[in-house]
Amino acid sequence: MSGFLEGLRCSECIDWGEKRNTIASIAAGVLFFTGWWIIIDAAVIYPRMDEFNHSYHACGVIATIAFLMINAVSNGQVRGDSYSEGCLGQTGARIWLFIGFMLAFGSLIASMWILFGGYVAKVVFFRIKFSLYNKMVLWQSFLS
Amino acid sequence: MYHSFLIHSSADGHLGCFHVLAIINNLGNLAFSLFVLLCFLHVQYWPLFVLFFYILSPIPYCIARRLVDDTDAMSNACKELAIFLTTGIVVSAFGLPIVFARAHLIEWGACALVLTGNTVIFATILGFFLVFGSNDDFSWQQW
Repeated sequence: MSGFLEGLRCSECIDWGEKRNTIASIAAGVLFFTGWWIIIDAAVIYPRMDEFNHSYHACGVIATIAFLMINAVSNGQVRGDSYSEGCLGQTGARIWLFIGFMLAFGSLIASMWILFGGYVAKVVFFRIKFSLYNKMVLWQSFLS
Repeated sequence: MYHSFLIHSSADGHLGCFHVLAIINNLGNLAFSLFVLLCFLHVQYWPLFVLFFYILSPIPYCIARRLVDDTDAMSNACKELAIFLTTGIVVSAFGLPIVFARAHLIEWGACALVLTGNTVIFATILGFFLVFGSNDDFSWQQW
């Protein structure tokens, strides 16, 4: 049971060759900018503060900063085998990477929180209010 | 205008550089005229903002190619950044008309026309870079 995923290797099944980095950059660009355009679209369609709280943009901004931080550090700088040490050295590069990942996952968790706390709960609350209202109207019609 | 480029067109009837350039130019003209037609038919000038993205799209790749040599490790990072930014510009050029249409600034028919024009123009630009990108004879100094 413990080793059943060992036979599953996906990184060797597709022969990327020299184009791996190009394809990865294109995919990253598509995902990143599609995400930003989705949030721009949401901000345009729902401009009011009670529908779309403007502080929710912070999620995307922090995620962008984290993305830039992570991409600024190269593999060689973290391993310590690049030509120049950079301004922070190997330990500094590792700490920078750590902070970048922390911000990235923090913004991901924040977005999940916003989804459930800001929108799902609101709809449930609204549903409860609405069903209560319906029941009250029904009883009133019976009473009158 | 065409003789200002250093182009060797072939003499044996194959598709030489000159012919490819002519085809690309015609495609670009077609896409652009589609675009202008769109703006006049629907009397909305919002789609003209997409022109900004058309002009911007070859710039990162050109800068990356001018700035670095081909064999360095740093040059790969620079080229990948350029490809990332170019992809972003292309996605933005598709996203902007859709956001306009959803915000009811333009109609969905206009949006569809703009997206078609986008596809043709970006295919033209991509074709241009694929054909002429690796050609060392191509020099801008003639301008």
